Amino acid sequence: MANENILVIGGGPTGLEAAKGIADLGYKAILVEKRDRLGGTPDAAGYAALTPDMRDAGEAMDEMRAAVENNPNVEVMLNTEVTASEGEVGNFTVTATQDGKEVKIECGAVIVATGFTHFDPGRETQKYGYYEHDDVITLVDAEKLLKSGNFVRPSNGEKPKRVAFIQCVGSRDRQIGNEYCSKVCCGISSKQAIEVRELLPDCKVFIFYIDMRMYGYWENEIYWPAQEKHKVNYIKGMATEIIRKGDHLIVKGEDTTMRRPMEVPMDMVILAVGMEPSEGTKQVADIFGLKKNQYNFIETIGGALNTVSTNVEGVFAAGACTGPSDLEDCVSAAGAAVMKSIATIRRVAVPA
Amino acid sequence: MPIDKKQIIEKESAVVDGIELTADWNRMFEQRVMHYEDSDALDKVRDTPGAESIGYCYQCGQCVPVCPVDAVGEYGPFRVYKDLLIGKDLFKSPELWKCTTCMQCLRVCPKQVDMIQIMPAVREEAVMEGDVPEELQEAFENTFEYGNPLGESQRKRADWIQETGSNVPIMKEKKEADILWFVECYPSYHARGKDASAALAKILNALGTDFGVLGTEEKCSCDSQRLAGEVGLFEEFAEENIATLKKYKFNQILVTDPHALNAMRKKYPEYGGNFDVIHYTTYLAPLLDKLDLKNTLNYKVTFHDPCYLGRHNGEYEAPRQILNALPGVELIEMGRCREQSYCCGGGGGGMWLDGFMADHVSERLSENRIREAVETGADLLVVCCPYEVSRFEDAVKSTGNEGKLQVKDIAELIVEAMG
Repeated sequence: MANENILVIGGGPTGLEAAKGIADLGYKAILVEKRDRLGGTPDAAGYAALTPDMRDAGEAMDEMRAAVENNPNVEVMLNTEVTASEGEVGNFTVTATQDGKEVKIECGAVIVATGFTHFDPGRETQKYGYYEHDDVITLVDAEKLLKSGNFVRPSNGEKPKRVAFIQCVGSRDRQIGNEYCSKVCCGISSKQAIEVRELLPDCKVFIFYIDMRMYGYWENEIYWPAQEKHKVNYIKGMATEIIRKGDHLIVKGEDTTMRRPMEVPMDMVILAVGMEPSEGTKQVADIFGLKKNQYNFIETIGGALNTVSTNVEGVFAAGACTGPSDLEDCVSAAGAAVMKSIATIRRVAVPA
Repeated sequence: MPIDKKQIIEKESAVVDGIELTADWNRMFEQRVMHYEDSDALDKVRDTPGAESIGYCYQCGQCVPVCPVDAVGEYGPFRVYKDLLIGKDLFKSPELWKCTTCMQCLRVCPKQVDMIQIMPAVREEAVMEGDVPEELQEAFENTFEYGNPLGESQRKRADWIQETGSNVPIMKEKKEADILWFVECYPSYHARGKDASAALAKILNALGTDFGVLGTEEKCSCDSQRLAGEVGLFEEFAEENIATLKKYKFNQILVTDPHALNAMRKKYPEYGGNFDVIHYTTYLAPLLDKLDLKNTLNYKVTFHDPCYLGRHNGEYEAPRQILNALPGVELIEMGRCREQSYCCGGGGGGMWLDGFMADHVSERLSENRIREAVETGADLLVVCCPYEVSRFEDAVKSTGNEGKLQVKDIAELIVEAMG
């Protein structure tokens, strides 16, 4: 007899969407979350607005949370970490610790939605002096400032007059080992650039890039408005060094279109940090015996036509635990994982 | 941009196939030069074994601001790549000889475009075609003929020992020693190099080190000649040196020259020479407390990290440990230090390209570095690579800083402290 409950690991956008989907289809979802609150990275890191639709992130996460909390078909387990798994498709017994106490969860299928972590720009090289200069911050730090509505220089609390974004920090980099494109940073930088321009109309904003990778509607929904309406300056060429001179940061680099060196004074520099697998993703992959790729993201095995199946039957992976993903990818993958996990349970319960 | 009126061609009438066209066609601009983009120049480089990674460039440009040659001119791997894209032949270009193989670009390159492999590979082809700056060719010929790029007699390679009154055993007589000291060319022949060698000999004797040198049997390690494109010469000399080294019993090779360190660590194993090689700063750093440093010096010093000791071989601490252990020495770091250290201009053949480089840069790299050293307020620039004392002493003079800054090998400073 197959167990018809589905365990969802991770309470971020992917896990929330998956749990809601399972409940909507009349099955029972058990949603476990390590933190004491649902909402995942957008909540934990204090995102201001979502990309690309600029919707208030807090409000959007509230809505996703509301759909599973008090939902009779969803059991939410907070402060819960999965520690072991036994059994096979149709009958998994998953061990977890909840508030320090061991609990057993019986389920027929598992959806892993353990997400990503932001690249630490001081991890490999101190190229941009993230830990040296107060006014060198990351996209994540900038989100918090934008959310507070008080976008000021961390060094002195003054409003910046010149802000630069540096793209591809920790992505597309063989030295660091992250050869992939993190997919969202071009869009998020452009979105933040718009927000900075709206908050501080006198502040000039520059984006230093190798290629702007704004696929699909992100081109016309973010990139073009940033440039056309909000007068964000895009400069092709990367900064290599940031040095402090008096009260300013000097961004040194090469303008590759003009083929000339540049040294540009800035008040703040925002590093567009990419995505890496979260600790939870690596741990959960090992617990369930899921294959990881060379970057430690969970490997899905179905190629382009199946983005959620893993090497373990009955265990699916969705969202940023499988690789760099935007929110659109995450909720789409959640839907696919729900469909396939329920189909799997039904097949095991009623063999053909 | 205003239109250049001279470019406008006006004719009385325009007739095509016997039909007169309307007046619009009488007035036109001169033909513009259209560029035909091809990949031949790039293909030629990336098809050269060792130079494949030039094709990896995705044009982020991060290599240019850190390139020491760009700081005094216009250079950098991105620019080399861009020239290839527009069809310029690197094999015949002066751009081929500007790189000092300092490794700054590779340090920051996200795609690992490796100029340390690309440059010698392309230069090797150019050398075979005879497309080499004259002064570099002369250094190659000197090395080939005399065993050293200075063109000094091989028989006089050990003369510095007597000249400086040093006590240095020769392996030919000694046969066996704990440490085999590979002295290299500049420390054997150059006046200031000999000073440093004499100082190091004095330190080794004071430590009671059981050591010996190859004397007249030693030949140039040729690492810089290799990186400048003379790969054949390098191979020949490597095989000779390895055969000589294998005649004797020793535990470790001590090198004065970071370029020799690089050759012996990274290249000699390919020719069957597997030795434990150590730079003299690495060797001396933990032994300094065994020396009687009775003199308190009164120096503010700054230190230049050699490219081939630091970036290429990862040693940044040993020289600093030594400086910090010397009584009365205060170390002031330059802005560009450790991994980000500037380059003296001597590596990768630069040692023998000063005349050529003068036509392509606003000042020598060594001069740029001396200005930075003077800015720190230090009265002494300490070095630990034999290329540097002469390069920097020249640069002190040419930048008008004589009397403001002295240049010394770290071994000389230790000896001063020993009194």
